[in-house]
Amino acid sequence: MKLKMLFIWIPLLLAATVANAQRGIIKGRITDQRNKEPLTGATVVVTGTNNAASTNLNGEYQFYVNAGKINLTVRYLGYNDTTFTLTVDKNKLEVLNIAMYARPQTLKNVIVSGYTQGQAKALNQQKNADNIKNIIAADQIGRFPDPNAAEALQRVPGINIERDQGEGRYVSIRGLAPQFTNTSVNGEQIPSPEADVRFVALDAIPSDQLASIEVSKALTPDMDGDAIGGSINLITRIAQSSIAAISGSLGSGYNNLVGKTNLQGQLQYGQRFGKNEKLGILLNGNYYHNDLGSDNFERNVDDNELELRDYSLTRTRLGLSSSIDYKFNNHHEIYFKGLYTRFTDREQRRRYVFKPGDDEIEKLMKDRFESQSVISLNTGAKHTFKNFFLDYEAQYSYGEQNTPYDNESSFVAGMPSLLNFNDGNYPRFDAVGYTDNSAYEFDEIGFGKTKAKDKNLTAKFNVGLPYKIGSNDGLIKFGAKVRSKNKSYTIQQNTFENLGGVPNLNQFEGVSPKSEFLKGRYDLGTPMGINKLITYFNNNPSQFELQVEDKAIDQALEAFTANEDVVAGYVMGRQQLKKLMILGGVRYERTKVSYNSNDVVIDENGDLAAIVPVSGSSSYDFVLPQLHFKYEITPLSNLRAALTWSYARPNFSEIIPSQEINREDGVASVGNPALQPVSAINYDLMYEHYFGSVGIVSAGLFHKQLDDFIYRRILFNANYPLTGTATATGIDITQAQNGNKASITGIELALQRRLNFIPLLKDFSVYLNYTYTNSKAKIQSRAAAANNANVTEEIRLPGQSESVGNASLAYEGKRFSLRGSLNFNGSFLSEVGGTKEADVFVKSRMQFDASGSVNITNRIRLFAELLNLTNQPLEVYQGNKSQTIQREFYSFWSRFGIKFNL
Amino acid sequence: MKNLSYLFFMLIFLSACEKKNDDLVNPMVEQDFPQILLLSDEGDGELEDEDKFSFKITLADRVDPSGKELGGKIIPLEKDVTVNFEVSSFKGFATLSSYLMDAKAFYEIDDCTTSEDKGIDLKLVFDKTTGKGSVTFPKGVEEIEIEFETNDKLFDDKVFNASSRKLEIKLTSVSPNGEYVVVNNTNKFEYEVLDDEGIYGEYELDMSNQQQFDNYIKLFGLVNDKVKGLKINDVEEIKIEFQYGELKAIVVLKQTQNVAECGKVKVENVEIEIEGDLEELDDDKLSGDVEIVGGIEQANGSEKEFVYKGSFKLVNGNLELKLKGEYDDHKIAETILAVHK
Repeated sequence: MKLKMLFIWIPLLLAATVANAQRGIIKGRITDQRNKEPLTGATVVVTGTNNAASTNLNGEYQFYVNAGKINLTVRYLGYNDTTFTLTVDKNKLEVLNIAMYARPQTLKNVIVSGYTQGQAKALNQQKNADNIKNIIAADQIGRFPDPNAAEALQRVPGINIERDQGEGRYVSIRGLAPQFTNTSVNGEQIPSPEADVRFVALDAIPSDQLASIEVSKALTPDMDGDAIGGSINLITRIAQSSIAAISGSLGSGYNNLVGKTNLQGQLQYGQRFGKNEKLGILLNGNYYHNDLGSDNFERNVDDNELELRDYSLTRTRLGLSSSIDYKFNNHHEIYFKGLYTRFTDREQRRRYVFKPGDDEIEKLMKDRFESQSVISLNTGAKHTFKNFFLDYEAQYSYGEQNTPYDNESSFVAGMPSLLNFNDGNYPRFDAVGYTDNSAYEFDEIGFGKTKAKDKNLTAKFNVGLPYKIGSNDGLIKFGAKVRSKNKSYTIQQNTFENLGGVPNLNQFEGVSPKSEFLKGRYDLGTPMGINKLITYFNNNPSQFELQVEDKAIDQALEAFTANEDVVAGYVMGRQQLKKLMILGGVRYERTKVSYNSNDVVIDENGDLAAIVPVSGSSSYDFVLPQLHFKYEITPLSNLRAALTWSYARPNFSEIIPSQEINREDGVASVGNPALQPVSAINYDLMYEHYFGSVGIVSAGLFHKQLDDFIYRRILFNANYPLTGTATATGIDITQAQNGNKASITGIELALQRRLNFIPLLKDFSVYLNYTYTNSKAKIQSRAAAANNANVTEEIRLPGQSESVGNASLAYEGKRFSLRGSLNFNGSFLSEVGGTKEADVFVKSRMQFDASGSVNITNRIRLFAELLNLTNQPLEVYQGNKSQTIQREFYSFWSRFGIKFNL
Repeated sequence: MKNLSYLFFMLIFLSACEKKNDDLVNPMVEQDFPQILLLSDEGDGELEDEDKFSFKITLADRVDPSGKELGGKIIPLEKDVTVNFEVSSFKGFATLSSYLMDAKAFYEIDDCTTSEDKGIDLKLVFDKTTGKGSVTFPKGVEEIEIEFETNDKLFDDKVFNASSRKLEIKLTSVSPNGEYVVVNNTNKFEYEVLDDEGIYGEYELDMSNQQQFDNYIKLFGLVNDKVKGLKINDVEEIKIEFQYGELKAIVVLKQTQNVAECGKVKVENVEIEIEGDLEELDDDKLSGDVEIVGGIEQANGSEKEFVYKGSFKLVNGNLELKLKGEYDDHKIAETILAVHK
């Protein structure tokens, strides 16, 4: 088979090389004449032919043309088409740098600057892309009040985000949960700092660090194949000009719930040095400090319990990035790009848990610090040879989640309470004297410490061979990649109970950070001062008894080490046939994984019987054909279609071979190292029309057929363990397994445009998008039992919202701009319960944000941002919509300050 | 270089804003958590004519460094320490010295040998007047026992005493001698003098009474299959012992066995013993309620609970127990058991 492939490809490559021998190379950079900013996504075309290229993020283009005198036309939304004549010698490289003028006719009295300029960059790239993708440029990100990458992405059609404490964290593309999304920095996957998942919490990455974000919804063969929902590429900045560019911002703000101010700042310096601007250096640093909180109640339906939760948090985001590039000449360049981000989260949580069934009320406090750090270092080179181009790169990336302390203590009062959930909005309860801390006896205090590490080492290369068949240009590209991943999770847990003598809670009272909770509906009394208790613990250790067995279980159960080696290769061709572009190819990926974890055995009396180290390994291969069509109906309209294959690797928590058996209850959970990734066939159809005045109207249809969908299956009355000699029988074992199919179908609609065709509204623009999805997944029926274990039922895919959308109206005048933005997430299945009635859903949510700015000078701008103005809560229900089990409120918060560009 | 130092200081400044260490107290855990010396039990009691009682001082369990004992184990000290204790809160007698005659301390070397046998001195000092004492807790030892010689005549009367006669022992401090060790000085060991005119003591079943034998078998056969199958001719004697906090129902069979103990082989009758905790007992009365709770180990290693609940009446050393039994979904209706001291 491999030999046959050689026979096919070698003649093709030779033919292409011969064809190229009669050609020359044109290379250059396209910028805005006024502000020297690079024009990203501009089309450069040999007039009268379909031989074209588009500019990259730095405004650079390069392509092979027939030798001789040629006319070159440059097109860019919002700018005049510009044509140049030049002569290209055979086997020679010509450099043509072009400065473009904004289009005066179409955009009369409208300056292409700020948001419009960012939008133009994004839409030009999107229009010229070979595949279906959305792009957000830095300028565009800056106009929405989105401090992190996740919140910036929520503005993209088909994306919804999962929030934590009101801030965007995880990203879902096209209704598929975050594990179906691949996240990269500068084109290469970054590891997840979290222990049990692969996906990255994007609130750890400040948006100020990014030059642009690309969301590819249909994969090409030169992209990693493990992205069913889509692939997110975060691109950091690079120096553009010999004139030192210094920009930054400084701001503050206010969080209404906690009544505290926040702080943010950013500084960027970029400059190119030397003759011909060969050396470019860019340094970017930013910092964001935010005090926030939430007021929350949660209901446990099964146990008839109610929790009141009062959170206060301090979060910081530090981002440092640098890029150094050196262009030896027009043919060869090297680069180094580094990104370091650090997200920290100090959380203090005060809780009441009312347990009428036990005649108990618990009062707890938690104090936890967590940091997530990501380092990504990419170094590589790009070479342009007479007949081909070559690029290669090595990357080191490291993600770490460090929790140096996670302290939580509980006190219990033997006290009756009566709960009433008849009011769907707020529960009521009767519990006489529940705020009296002297009634609460010490129960336990836990001191946790965890560290999750994930390291990637990657090397890759790509070779491109341009060719010409008749008057039609084409490109053959091939490449390979190796990646080695090492992931681990270590836990230290010490839980102490009362050995005798620990006083009641009234001896350990703290200070409440808020004057009222849920607008005064509930009295939280005086909270626990956990540090007073820890001080007491340190002074009186003889009164505390370490729970040695619990420590052994906690530290063994989730700890693991894993190694994953990936080898990938691809070959693809891109052929322009007049107005039709066909891109096709195939990617092969082989993954070899091995894991080490523990088997925790609990005996019939509920005691720990054994902890046995276990290990597992597996490997899998994927051959992923990809086919894309793009038909240019007019220079401003495209019709796209794609048929692609992709897959999604299982979460580490599902594949590590950790096992836990509780013989007392006759249940067990077992990891599944043999779990195969979910595979998918993706069908995409998209029509897009771009407005010359910078805008787009688009409509897309997609369908994804997922196979080997992973679900949690219960194996009734099974032998434990599942392999080898059985040590227990009649156990109900829960294990993630492959087997069932799922599908998701959706439509995406988007409209962005300046309303300059309406004279009164010429300074206004709208940004609208809406995505509808419908999904079905088969899982083992929750009504299944030992005698009918194979019965299935159909559910929605977890994480899939039927409707997701954005609506934004902006005014952008010469000095003043104002924007109102609505973001809507429909309800989605959050947790699959043991029964249909136990399914947990997150209710639909619509957040309204506003932002505005005033240009003081051409280089200095004041900005103000207001978020969550309508105080939208996170609301969760179980079974049916009237059974609310959680409402979490954040109130509104704001930011304001100054941005400058020196 | 200068720029790098600016950057370094900036990072330190920004790290301070993370509030990582604001209002934070780091707990002493892992190796920073000290060894704890504590009382082994919460209490004990002996009949009023007993001439001694003891309490034990032990070390709290720690994580087994070898990982073999998952539930933890005692890690002995590496140096001798001195533990101070105090006898106080005594009731039912005027002075400590009138009841506590002497004291000694020892530890078990093996099942048959104590430190006393080997002449090892734990340097016990005890002041009968103040109740204060001290003892060496030696390195390499898991537990020591302090035994008091008591005045067996002081409470040995022939009347039922409803008022309590007891004392408390607490550990007060430790002289660590370089060891990282603390004592739990809040827990107490309560020693109680049990009145043998009350319910406490040993009772025998009249083996000539077939009905009483059948009642015994019916009651305790519920939780023990061996008892269930016994015939009166198999049994030498049946005893019921009310001890401090627990009840023992003992069947002494006629069948004998050789028992090796400390190098000597003895011929002993085979005994079947059923033990339960006295969850409820009106021990300050001659009649009242009683509840006995215990656990029976199953073939798969699990344990199932049994409960006997009812009343007792004591007249001139004759005890009448009216008990209902419940175990593993089986119930025994109220059954009367008559035993005598």
